[in-house]
Amino acid sequence: MIIDWDLYPQEIVPNLKRHRVMKSIRHQPRIFTDTSDFTSITYGDIIHIDGRYFIIVGHTREGRFGIDSQIKPWVPRVNDLMSGERFIIKLVFHETYELTIGQLKVTCFRSPEKEARVLELVNDNPYFMHGRSVLDAADNLVRILDIVDGRRLDTHIAKLGASHEEYMTEHLKEMLVRFLTSVAGIRLLHDNGLKHGDIRRDHIFVNREDTTFRWIDFDYDFYIPERPYAMDLFGLGNVLLFILGKQNFRVGDVVKHPDMGEKVMKTITTNDLSLISQDRIFNLKKLFPYIPDSLNNILLHFSVGTQVFYNSVAEFQDELQQAVDTLP
Amino acid sequence: MAVREKLLIAVDETETSMHALRYVAQVASGMQEMSICLLHIYPEPPPDYYLKGGTLSAYKEKQDAKAERVFSQAMTILAEAGVSKERLSTDNRFAEGKTISEELLAVRSEGDFGTVVVGKRGVSRTEEFLFGSISNALAQHSVNFTTWIVGSDDY
Ligand SMILES: Nc1ncnc2c1ncn2[C@@H]1O[C@H](COP(=O)(O)OP(=O)(O)OP(=O)(O)O)[C@@H](O)[C@H]1O
Ligand SMILES: [Mg+2]
Repeated sequence: MIIDWDLYPQEIVPNLKRHRVMKSIRHQPRIFTDTSDFTSITYGDIIHIDGRYFIIVGHTREGRFGIDSQIKPWVPRVNDLMSGERFIIKLVFHETYELTIGQLKVTCFRSPEKEARVLELVNDNPYFMHGRSVLDAADNLVRILDIVDGRRLDTHIAKLGASHEEYMTEHLKEMLVRFLTSVAGIRLLHDNGLKHGDIRRDHIFVNREDTTFRWIDFDYDFYIPERPYAMDLFGLGNVLLFILGKQNFRVGDVVKHPDMGEKVMKTITTNDLSLISQDRIFNLKKLFPYIPDSLNNILLHFSVGTQVFYNSVAEFQDELQQAVDTLP
Repeated sequence: MAVREKLLIAVDETETSMHALRYVAQVASGMQEMSICLLHIYPEPPPDYYLKGGTLSAYKEKQDAKAERVFSQAMTILAEAGVSKERLSTDNRFAEGKTISEELLAVRSEGDFGTVVVGKRGVSRTEEFLFGSISNALAQHSVNFTTWIVGSDDY
């Protein structure tokens, strides 16, 4: 591969020549100041924004559960060519999709502006990822994210304790205390008129160095004027379910589980299932009789059988705080 | 309770709402002391509305026009039931930074209405959790006033 070095500004040439991606690229790196057509910006290319030069060293992958992961061309991993620092960049991708719940449809879409507003609000908050937002030459709102060095919450929890019971006694309290900081973070967003938009167990990262929980990925938005925060609340319920169960349980998982089987499965009724999706079991007490009622009762608020809903994250947070305070 | 009963009825373009209105027309036509305010509330535009080039004034104009249509339809129903025009008023509100039910409660308390009327479309509990229900929000908050929640005929 013959590179024409004259195509690049003098200041970046020495670092570019030395950069590891130069060993494996198959085309002359191009410099992009307009990132609109993100699919054509590939490995080894350089994004020039904010007065800096970011060379693409890879892409993040679809974090879906189980399924083979696909790369996200709008979320490249980059190095700042001058400082060598690593970042993740999110390029503008206007995607919308319809969510059908019962008879109602909700339009969900990606909003770079919303993610930028959240980043600005949580700039000093240790329980969120950090980053800055800048406009490229075509006025696309590009987000330059500091990388959270750590792993997804579900991966982290799966490795704690040999059994559920051991996890409960050894690790659960710490997980819940950490999770409460995440809940407080979401409350802060709501108090400022913002939502997270995509609360899932893979959107909390556990920081390697100090094991703090940090939220990532704030670009999803949707339009539900009467209950703008209910989706976030529902997401928090799902994350709590995972933390308490150490995994999610569908009826099939109960049947297969060596300590549960048919006998436990037969005790499960529709009322024990998730109010929203009716697949996972929220009444964990039926699977793990030693789970404290105070915690299980919080989960039951998200089940088909519930009489009352949480109306705000504050209500959920208060009850969780009380339950955690009484744990040994 | 207020001596002259003031009734606030929340209306939109749905059949549920017109059904509630017909109910009010029936029971209220004989109550000469009762004044009736027709209230239409519209939410903030979807967050991508401005990005697509929409302006707030265009949005408001559209909502005003819609409210006018709803009001005139409602007035016809009430007039046919014998409710005189002098007893009616209308109000079109923008729920800015608020939910529809919060705005409804605010208008209720500002105007010191003794009775609030809404229709009920009948949603599943899942829908109620995720999307909310104005009638339920109202029922929860009606401590110092009365709420009529008018279910649809089909139930
Ligand atoms: N600040 C960060 N630190 C570490 N990893 C991150 C960070 N931000 C994103 N990632 C990784 O990149 C992936 C994609 O990022 P993100 O979820 O923000 O993009 P997205 O396109 O909005 O994804 P989704 O399909 O989940 O909506 C994440 O699942 C995560 O693995
Ligand atoms: Mg994501």
